[in-house]
Amino acid sequence: MLSAYIPIAIFVVVATGFALFTLVFSSLLHPEKYNKVKLEPYECGIEPMTDARDRYSIRYYLVAMLFVIFDVETVFMFPWAVIFNKLLLFGLIEMLVFIFILLVGYYYAWQKGALEWV
Amino acid sequence: MPPGISTSDFYYILPELVLTGGALLVLIADVLLPRGSKALAWVTLLAIGATIASLVPFGSTHVEVAHGLLAVDQFALFFKIVFLGAAALTVLMSVRYLEIEGASPGEYYFLILCATLGMMIMAGGIDLLTIFIGLETMAVSFYILAGFIKPNQRSNEAAVKYFLLGAFSLGILLYGMSIMYGLSGTTNLRTMATAFVGQERDPRLVLAVILVVAGLGFKIAAVPFHMWAPDVYEGAPTPVTAFLSVGSKAASFAMLLRIFLEGLPSMSADWRLMFEVLAIVTMTIGNLAALTQTNIKRMLAYSSIAHAGYILIGVVAGTPRGVAAMLIYLLIYAFMQLGAFTIIIIMRRQDVVGDELKDFSGLHIRHPFAAFAMLLFMLSLGGIPPTAGFMGKFWLFGAAIDAGYVRLAVIGVLNSAISLYYYIRLVVFMYLKPQGAGSPVTTSPSLGIALAVAVIGTIFLGVYPRLLFDLAEMSARTLGVAAVTAAIR
Amino acid sequence: MMFPILSSLVALPIAGAILLLFVRDDEHNEPLVRNIALVVSLLVFAQTLLLWSRFNAGSAEFQFVERHAWIPAFGISYLVGVDGISLLLLVLTGFLTPLALLSSWESVHKKTKAFCIFVLLLESAMMGVFVSLDLFLFYIFWDAMLIPMYFLIGIWGYDRRVYAAVKFMLYTMAGSVLMLLAILALAYLHNAATGAYSFDLLRLYDLRIPPPMQFWCFLAFALAFAIKVPLFPFHTWLPDAHVEAPTAGSVILAGVLLKMGTYGLVRFAFPLFPLAASYFAPYLALLAVIGIMYGALVAMVQPDMKKLVAYSSVSHLGFVVLGIAAMNTQGVQGAVYQMLNHGVSTGGLFLIVGMLSDRRHTRLISEYGGLKRVVPHLVAVFLIVTLSSIGLPGLNGFVGELLILLGAFRWSPRAAAFAASGVILSATYMLWMFQRVNYGPVNNDKNKTMRDLSAREWAILVPIVAMIALMGVLPNMFLRPIGPSVERMLNQVRQGAGVQIQAIKNSEFGSRNSD
Repeated sequence: MLSAYIPIAIFVVVATGFALFTLVFSSLLHPEKYNKVKLEPYECGIEPMTDARDRYSIRYYLVAMLFVIFDVETVFMFPWAVIFNKLLLFGLIEMLVFIFILLVGYYYAWQKGALEWV
Repeated sequence: MPPGISTSDFYYILPELVLTGGALLVLIADVLLPRGSKALAWVTLLAIGATIASLVPFGSTHVEVAHGLLAVDQFALFFKIVFLGAAALTVLMSVRYLEIEGASPGEYYFLILCATLGMMIMAGGIDLLTIFIGLETMAVSFYILAGFIKPNQRSNEAAVKYFLLGAFSLGILLYGMSIMYGLSGTTNLRTMATAFVGQERDPRLVLAVILVVAGLGFKIAAVPFHMWAPDVYEGAPTPVTAFLSVGSKAASFAMLLRIFLEGLPSMSADWRLMFEVLAIVTMTIGNLAALTQTNIKRMLAYSSIAHAGYILIGVVAGTPRGVAAMLIYLLIYAFMQLGAFTIIIIMRRQDVVGDELKDFSGLHIRHPFAAFAMLLFMLSLGGIPPTAGFMGKFWLFGAAIDAGYVRLAVIGVLNSAISLYYYIRLVVFMYLKPQGAGSPVTTSPSLGIALAVAVIGTIFLGVYPRLLFDLAEMSARTLGVAAVTAAIR
Repeated sequence: MMFPILSSLVALPIAGAILLLFVRDDEHNEPLVRNIALVVSLLVFAQTLLLWSRFNAGSAEFQFVERHAWIPAFGISYLVGVDGISLLLLVLTGFLTPLALLSSWESVHKKTKAFCIFVLLLESAMMGVFVSLDLFLFYIFWDAMLIPMYFLIGIWGYDRRVYAAVKFMLYTMAGSVLMLLAILALAYLHNAATGAYSFDLLRLYDLRIPPPMQFWCFLAFALAFAIKVPLFPFHTWLPDAHVEAPTAGSVILAGVLLKMGTYGLVRFAFPLFPLAASYFAPYLALLAVIGIMYGALVAMVQPDMKKLVAYSSVSHLGFVVLGIAAMNTQGVQGAVYQMLNHGVSTGGLFLIVGMLSDRRHTRLISEYGGLKRVVPHLVAVFLIVTLSSIGLPGLNGFVGELLILLGAFRWSPRAAAFAASGVILSATYMLWMFQRVNYGPVNNDKNKTMRDLSAREWAILVPIVAMIALMGVLPNMFLRPIGPSVERMLNQVRQGAGVQIQAIKNSEFGSRNSD
């Protein structure tokens, strides 16, 4: 039974190994010639102006939360879709009710300005 | 129609459906109504009222719904009435509080209704999954509600503490439940009961029982799982604290009764002993800790812990009379506790936070009716006749003696006498101390209604509790009795 | 349909209190409030007299019984009735309440309405305690009387009133919660024996309770009552409560509330648990005698008049408990009679001390002296009440104490000897106090302008003196109703104890025979 997991194990090992290999190997091979300009953080070619610790807009957090909620909604739709032909009309109506409840929440979030990006 | 589900199932869960619809309606109404309108509270009350009305056809049903996921019986009905009543009183209490604190009411009422929905599912659930879903719904709603006053540091602290400790203990509970599932092969409590017969010595099952007791102990704030209660009760907005201390506790007890009396009757020797120890420790420590509190909300938190101890005596007794005593006490407790918190909300004005003992000085001069009502609630909580609290305690201790647990009853009454000290202390401040400073104490119509309901309930049930007693005995007897399945082809 | 006189005795004061709620509370209305309360309490007193006149003194049965179902699931009913023992206690309550209200006419001015309401509620609770024949109902009234008394002491009392009120409440509660458990145990035992729960006293009288359980239940009941009596060493709440209470509160507390403890022993503790009662009676008597001596000795050194009278209460009620513990006709009859006596005479003492403290605002004996020259009428009444308290023949105290000592002597001469010395001690401290306050030169200038008794004060004291004289000269009028009921109670105790001793002996014989 556990033998079915061997391909996954190989996959994990190869992926981790590849990442580790490139990092370790390159750090062993590179010449150590640092100067001040080379050590500055990269900002798309522009000179860095301020501290990297800036105020992080909370909108990112809101977007992430909303994404998670509706993503989970989508995830729930998958198994429903798989056995849909057994659930027939009843299943459809139930899923519509489910989506409707989430739609009300979506409408509420929209009206309360959670989707505003300004 | 997929197998196992029929339209009649939806008929039986009508109250829950109505409440869900009501909650969504509240959310939409919040968007559509103009800001600062008081009508939202009335929409919420309408939703609760509609749910109570939809409970009426189920006065004598006793069925299982959806292949044994939910039970619609008198036990669940009794608890649903308690929850909906408590929710209605909480909404009435919150109107002015939210205005003073400046919090937005829309999500608040929605969350109250969601919490109530979770509680209703918990009361009716006879499957571990259903119970857990109800528990989570209620718990998450309360996590958010506890932290609702965003600028207030205490409120945030309460929310974080409640969330962390709650999540942790829920995990323990779930682990216990999963062991129970693993050992029996089913999540339905009634099927599980037959599977566990003869397994009393199984150490894995004992472990499961211990874990479930621990997880539930957190929810009912039993010692030693009570550490969250004082901080959360003190920090959360007062109506939320009130609802938490009444509704969440009652729902957790419903869950406790379902799991232990329906699912684990064969292990009763084990969990009875555990609950006996828990009851003694909870009552004692709750009362002793309350003796030194100067913040009323904290004092009521510890008193709430102590009351959970008294109610646990009913679990230990385990007889239908013991269970009935618990139901009675939970309803009476709802009136007392909600009433006491209503008075605390009345004390909250623009310039005074009003939950310290000294804020109550001389209340009988400033607002005699509020002082009288608080006196009534304090006497009721202390168990002095002729209030409802005395009737509840009387029934509980009677059930304990009836089942032979005399030691528990002795400890219970002694704790009752001790608790009187801190309840009377508040009365001393209200009646025997000079008037305190601050703006005048006023009531609003909704607070007045809530207070009147609580006072009438406390007095009436203290003098004529017969109806309640009969109702509770009837409900208690339906627990554990095999029901008719609702699946009708 | 018979007029439910007992229920109306309980309900009428409550009705009066509710009526008072509607009167607006300001100085203008104060006389109206007082008059309403007085009229209600006089009506109640008249009803008690009516009850007495209709009472069949030759019968030992409970009369005027009313029974309504209340919580049938647990066998609780609203059951009230009166017999010879409780009849006169009801009359005493009705007698003292108007006097207490009258005595506060001058001294209570703030929140008069609330004061009167609390006195009326207290009266209702006291009536309820004496008429209840259902244990649950009894317990409710027993606890219910704590609340008005707590407020009476806590709001209208003297300096340390809050402390005294809280102490009073917690102390009494602690005793009564254990009694609650014993009551529940009785109901459960009744269920175990007959299959139905019952709190009905008459049914529970017939219950045979096995010894170990009986002992615990008796102790629980006895503890609650011992705190109330107060029996040494549970008496420590009494001095504080008495001293800090307002005059009306002290009068009711000493006059009626303390009697509830001894009433409880006679009505509940002894007949319900006869074997345990016979076993513990000597210990009760021992505590009673210690209380007599201790109360008297401590009273002797008190500088405060009210505290002196409070300790004298401890001493006098020790006599009552001794009489009950002797468990014979003279003893118990004397005990019940002495309950009435103490109510009248100590009530009178507190009233007089209250009048003195109204005038001078002090209760220290040293502040007084030579009052005979200044207020001769007051001193004359004071003398009569003092002599009654001591037990001078011809006044009421003598009859009660004589009966108790007779009964105690028949049971245990040694106990009677100690108790009799208590009589001497009581004479000592009372007369010494009287002499210091009333005789000698008038040293303190403030005493020289004291006014003598006003019409209202005469109205209060004349009934007291009349009762003292009447009860001293015509004791049979009062003893007649008491007699049969006391006989019945004693028969219950003797039979119950005898049957159980027999049962134990039988079982012992049985086990021996089977060896």
